[in-house]
Amino acid sequence: MSASIEIAGVSKVYDGGIRAVDAVAMDIRQGEFFSLLGPSGCGKTTTLRMIAGFETPSAGAIRVDGADITHVPAHKRDMGMVFQNYALFPHRTVAENVAFGLRMRGLDKASIAANVKAALAMVELSGLEDRRPAQLSGGQQQRVALARAIVIAPRVLLCDEPLGALDKKLRQQMQFELKQLQKKLGLTLVFVTHDQEEALAMSDRIAVMNGGRVEQVGTPSEIYNQPTTRFVADFIGDTNIFRGERIGPNLSVGKDLILALPPAETQGTGILSVALRPEKIRLSPRIDVAIAAGSSAHGTVENTNFLGGAVLYRITLDSGHRVLVQQPNAGTGRLFVPGDAVTLEWTPADLVVLKD
Amino acid sequence: MSSASTTRPNGVALFILPSALLFALFFFLPIGLMALMSALTGNPVVMPKVAFTTRHYARIVNDPYYLEVIWTTIRIGLVTTLVALAIGYPLAHWMARIKSRTGHALLLMAVLAPMLTGIVVRTFAWMTLLSDKGVINQTLMSLGLIAQPLKLMYTETGIVIGLVHIYVPFMVLTLTGVIGRIDERLEQAAENLGASPLRAFLEVTLPLSLPGILAGSLLVFALAISAYVTPILLGGFQIMTLPILIYQQISANFNVGFAAALGIVLLVISLMLVIAYNRALGLVSGQRELQ
Repeated sequence: MSASIEIAGVSKVYDGGIRAVDAVAMDIRQGEFFSLLGPSGCGKTTTLRMIAGFETPSAGAIRVDGADITHVPAHKRDMGMVFQNYALFPHRTVAENVAFGLRMRGLDKASIAANVKAALAMVELSGLEDRRPAQLSGGQQQRVALARAIVIAPRVLLCDEPLGALDKKLRQQMQFELKQLQKKLGLTLVFVTHDQEEALAMSDRIAVMNGGRVEQVGTPSEIYNQPTTRFVADFIGDTNIFRGERIGPNLSVGKDLILALPPAETQGTGILSVALRPEKIRLSPRIDVAIAAGSSAHGTVENTNFLGGAVLYRITLDSGHRVLVQQPNAGTGRLFVPGDAVTLEWTPADLVVLKD
Repeated sequence: MSSASTTRPNGVALFILPSALLFALFFFLPIGLMALMSALTGNPVVMPKVAFTTRHYARIVNDPYYLEVIWTTIRIGLVTTLVALAIGYPLAHWMARIKSRTGHALLLMAVLAPMLTGIVVRTFAWMTLLSDKGVINQTLMSLGLIAQPLKLMYTETGIVIGLVHIYVPFMVLTLTGVIGRIDERLEQAAENLGASPLRAFLEVTLPLSLPGILAGSLLVFALAISAYVTPILLGGFQIMTLPILIYQQISANFNVGFAAALGIVLLVISLMLVIAYNRALGLVSGQRELQ
């Protein structure tokens, strides 16, 4: 039922030479929750719209289960879509909205009614059949849009920031429900979002996009733990990025700061960027003994940000660099306060080398 | 009630006062006078001894000629409205959906430019096109497509052509506003669910643009049935409409009372349309009670 999608070197150039999508290539597997993640204007929505058939690629091909659909019109693609603003038909009731796709497929009245009932039950909207979209809350409209898209048993479900308009609590609940529904139905789901937490929480795999290009494709943990480019490291979560010149097995970052490179990165010369996650750094009161060069540094706490489960410190190193450090809040011991002298330690293997 | 909530409406009322006065003086007063005149035996300024009468209205109702004139007026109005809608809707849809700003500006200019020329000038232009020796007939005859000139001038067809040309911009502008406010993604959602572009238009855009269709039609119909210059010049007094009849009653027959009665009939037709419009709008926009 569900299909795989292959996006092969797809570009979209608008009149005036604006390159919205630039040679994007990715394989979306059958039954996979696949997210397109990036800042606004990165080409994620344009990519989704090309999959849906609302935009025609300027170059490249889109294949569904191996069949080229690049020039198949939208209404023959058999894909469900949940729009950013839901795009519910305001002049029709909830039941009529959900029935629309079935009616276009020429089903008889009885089976339309049965399918609509089942779809509304699935999104827990039974009893609201005769309401109009304007009479529903945002969360309810979202569910109607979802029911309308899945009732046609689409080969692929496309979602364009479907949860963007919901408040945080409702959003987390819908994230959970959508994920559950996707697994239950075995849907291939392409999900566009600019919210990295949402993408990390829901996706099987994520494609991080920037400036019309794909920066990295990978599982949430790959994207978080092994970002390959500076953009990905910076965009996903908090991170410390150091840029310096490689000298042997070390990276010289400005003056007075030397970082030992991970063991696997002992070859080569030149300018390099590395990322180090705040939670990978250990913090202790300053000890005035010689410290291990390359995997530790002295600094002063500038700012303490209590997050609840963790504490985020902004620290100025003696070398002048500013670093974010996150420590779990064990509930014992005192927090460092601004002005405290501290020692930072980390494991060189936790440094991630980035492509610019 | 707090003092703020009582003084605030007064402040607003002060701003409304000039327009309210203007409205009373130039709208309600003349219509009131017209209604009064239509029910009097004569002009009270000239003749001191006047009485109330229904004879003007009786004359309209009892004489088939006047009913025929009323029907002709309504018929010309209806045909003009339908043709203007048929021409205006696709144009308005194009204007509302066009992506390029330049394209939109050019279309808007094309729609508005004719309105910058006077109605008389445009009607005379149509006379040179439509008359027996006009451009259209000459061309068709020289091509050998017709032997006799088509009767375009002094017919209802000619009047409708002229009226459509003059009033189609009102239809287009009204429709463009309404269609432009319909989210394009609704049509895309319909297509995504399997509707062909035509089906998506019929199922989504068309019903959602009904308020615009109704408003534009109302406007064009009201303008068309009250048009005076175009029916006179293109109809040459051979096609009689209400406005022409009213003018004749005043200028030739000096029968102000009868003219006023005809004017009231025209007004009532328009008012009935407005009421029907509001009813229809209430139905299509589906204002059901909230539960």
